[in-house]
Amino acid sequence: MAEIEVGGVKLHVQRLGDSPREVVFLHGLVMDNLSSWYFTAATRVATSRGVLLYDLRGHGRSKRPETGYRLEDLVAELLGVLDAEGVERAHLVGNSFGGLLAVAFALAHPERVASLFLVDALLPTAGWGERMVGTLGLTGDARDATIGRLFENWLGRHSERKRNKLAKQASALVEGTTLLADLRGSASFAPDALEALTMPIRAIYGAESDVLPDGRLLAEHAADVSLTVLDGCSHSVMWEATEAVVSGITGWLAR
Amino acid sequence: MSREQTLRTLAGFIAEVLDDELDDDLDIDEDTSFSDDLELESIEFVALAELVQSHYGDHVDFVGWISNLELDAIIGLSVGDVVDFIERSVEAG
Repeated sequence: MAEIEVGGVKLHVQRLGDSPREVVFLHGLVMDNLSSWYFTAATRVATSRGVLLYDLRGHGRSKRPETGYRLEDLVAELLGVLDAEGVERAHLVGNSFGGLLAVAFALAHPERVASLFLVDALLPTAGWGERMVGTLGLTGDARDATIGRLFENWLGRHSERKRNKLAKQASALVEGTTLLADLRGSASFAPDALEALTMPIRAIYGAESDVLPDGRLLAEHAADVSLTVLDGCSHSVMWEATEAVVSGITGWLAR
Repeated sequence: MSREQTLRTLAGFIAEVLDDELDDDLDIDEDTSFSDDLELESIEFVALAELVQSHYGDHVDFVGWISNLELDAIIGLSVGDVVDFIERSVEAG
C-alpha cells in the first residue's frame, strides 16, 4: 500500500494516471474515505489527468492519531501531502467536508490552488463545526441512521461484516480521538473573507440539502463561482446524482 | 501463465488485503463474489486494485478497466470477472 508520512502520521495515498499529478480529491468526514472518489470520478479523470487521492488522518487506511483534527491541522496535512507529492498547483475536488477543507486550504494557500470543484460543501463560517456534527449525524441514533443511508447509497447491499467494521471505525474516530472537540474548536472565517477566493470555482448542491445556503453564500462572495443546484437531491448529492457530479468534474477539468 | 495461476495470485492478494479477517472455511474460486462472499469494503477493493496493478504492470490496466464500469457493476464483480480481465490483458499484451 502506498503511504507517505505527513506531520508524523502515515497516510494512505493513491496515485492514478500519469504525472504531473494536478487533480487532488478530498473525501468527507468520518464515514468516508478515498474509495468514494476512486470508484466515481477519480479513475475516470485519471484517463486524461494525473490524480492524487489520500485518506485523511483517522480515515480509510491512514493512521488514526488521537489528536490533530482541527481544520488548521487538516489544512497543514493537505499542504504536506502536496509538498510530498510534488504538486505545485492543484485542482481540488471536495465532497461535503472535503469541500470545506478545499475552501479553507484555498484561503490559506491560494497560490497552490488552480481551481475548486465543490460538492455540497459546508463553508468554514462561524459555527461550522457544530453544524458539521449535526449534518453528518456523528453520534448516537443519528450515526446508525447515517450508516444505514451509506449502505443504500454506496455499499449496495447489507453485510454484517461491513456494517460492523464501518461502525467500529466511526466510533473509534468519534469517541477515541479529539475529533468532535477539534471540529468545534476550529478556526472559522467571516463571509467577507470568501472574497479573497479569486480562482475559478464550480459548486454543485442538492436543492433539498441543509447545506445549500453555504453554496449561495459562496456564490455571493467569491469572485468566480458557477453554482448548480440539483432538484430532488439532498446532502448526499454525490450518490443521488453520481453521473451529473462525475460528468460535471470531467467537463470542468477539460475546459 | 495458466488461468489457475492467475486465480491463485488473485486469491493471495485478497488474503493480503483482508489480512486475518478472511474466513478460513471460504475457498476462493471464480464464482466468489467480492461483495456478497468476501464482503470486501470499497477501500479494501482499492487496496486490491493497487496490488493487482503493481504485480502485472502497465499492460494490465486495472484502473482503466474500473473507470469504465458503473458502480453497480463494480459491486457485482466476481473473482472470475477479474481473472477474465487479467487473462484478456495478458494475452493482448
